[in-house]
Amino acid sequence: MSATGTCEFQPKDYKSDLKPIWCPGCGDFSVVQGIYRALAAIGRPPHEIAFVSGIGCSSRIPGYTTAYGFNSVHGRSLPIAQGIKLANPDLLVLAAGGDGDGFSIGGGHIAHLIRRNMDITYIVMDNQIYGLTKGQLSPTSQKGRVTCTSRYGSLENPVNPLLYVLAYGAGFVAQASPTDLVGMAATIEEAIRYPGFAFVNIQSPCVTYGEEAQQIKGLKAISETLASLGHNPADRLAAMDLAQHYGEKLHLGVFYRNPEPPPTYGDLVKERQTLLSKDALPKERILDLFIKK
Amino acid sequence: MATRGIDFASLSLMDALDLAILVEEEAQERYEEFAAQMDQHRTPDAARFFRFMAENESKHGLELSARRAQRFSDAPRLVSRAMIFDIEAPDYDAARAFMSPRRAMAAALASEVKAHAFFVAALPALKDAEVRSLFEELRDEEIEHQDLVKAELAKLPLDSGLSDEDFVDEPAPQ
Ligand SMILES: Cc1ncc(C[n+]2csc(CCOP(=O)(O)OP(=O)(O)O)c2C)c(N)n1
Ligand code: SF4
Ligand SMILES: [Mg+2]
Repeated sequence: MSATGTCEFQPKDYKSDLKPIWCPGCGDFSVVQGIYRALAAIGRPPHEIAFVSGIGCSSRIPGYTTAYGFNSVHGRSLPIAQGIKLANPDLLVLAAGGDGDGFSIGGGHIAHLIRRNMDITYIVMDNQIYGLTKGQLSPTSQKGRVTCTSRYGSLENPVNPLLYVLAYGAGFVAQASPTDLVGMAATIEEAIRYPGFAFVNIQSPCVTYGEEAQQIKGLKAISETLASLGHNPADRLAAMDLAQHYGEKLHLGVFYRNPEPPPTYGDLVKERQTLLSKDALPKERILDLFIKK
Repeated sequence: MATRGIDFASLSLMDALDLAILVEEEAQERYEEFAAQMDQHRTPDAARFFRFMAENESKHGLELSARRAQRFSDAPRLVSRAMIFDIEAPDYDAARAFMSPRRAMAAALASEVKAHAFFVAALPALKDAEVRSLFEELRDEEIEHQDLVKAELAKLPLDSGLSDEDFVDEPAPQ
């Protein structure tokens, strides 16, 4: 492996020695494999990657990679990821977490990341449940869902993560699942390559607290690739139309990819810095700013 | 089970051997992972069986590697693990905490059936005669592996009639 990133990387180069403590059968095992493969295809060395998560079973994921990882605070992966990207724009920054982490406690952060369009890829492992805390309702749980916190069934409609990010104007929106491993790795790779904010919702079954219909067999029964439907990923309205079927159908692939990606926040910051640096004082005269003449 | 970027029609013998080695490596690693998961979840019988499977996969991998070295020496590998997805490795979804040895063996049997299906499906696309005969050999070996697992299954005492699900608690108020 060279530090220049010119040599070829293998998926195993991104696998850490830490043994996952997920329940055997958890969908997140396949997700991390998809991430190893996507990163190998991208070919950036692990030390050039920062991987930030919140709290949850899924949020353990950075620790299972050789990238720099930050298993942070529940719902706060996105502000931390943005800080890292701003401080070191050359890093490849990934953020990941669960449906609870991303759309409940952390839901308010997504809108601001999208409107800033920072070059960050956000992967949500959506299992429609709070896994880590032992099976409470999550924001994507179906209405009527019986859990330990909803003995008579949930009275709330689920959040639709796909429509949520599309409505705020995300430039790249996709969905994947361990039911299609090749598609999942390719989708994550494409998301990372997109120059701007990219969102991938991964239907990743919780085998311990998830419902039967949300396990691999159930998901396979409702899955359909967007490519097989002839969907044009440049068509945002068509993407929104398809995204409405979240929860009934499992559409896999890219819903929307902005064909003309706008500048990222990082690009704009660089531009502003160049502009302002023309009139800036040289370093040795910086105190002049504070000294009255 | 899937592949990415493999052109079976133009597959050379060296690449075919390397792919077969990678398939065994992937399966060996998965069984080792499963064994570690079972250790973590205090399921020793299934862990022991998954280690037995990992050793078998390793043995097959070493045999293939020896053949590859004899024929192609240390010529660099042109195929990679990124091209294969769970060919002979059991699906992650096949493992469960507290799984019985019977269920562990059923998972292994399903993956041997899956691997057999992979070689059967690839055969019609192969053009090279040597590659074809290698794939036929590997296909037939998968039947032998299935027999090996079936023999282990036959050694098990009669089923108690209880299912793993009988030990799962219903959601309780907290
Ligand atoms: C501020 C704060 N509130 C609540 C919690 C408790 N908590 C930990 S993980 C979690 C939800 C996990 O669900 P999700 O994000 O969907 O991840 P999963 O475990 O399903 O992968 C909650 C509520 C916490 N750790 N911190
Ligand atoms: S509780 Fe669910 S989400 Fe958490 S590790 Fe277990 S299967 Fe995975
Ligand atoms: Mg969850």
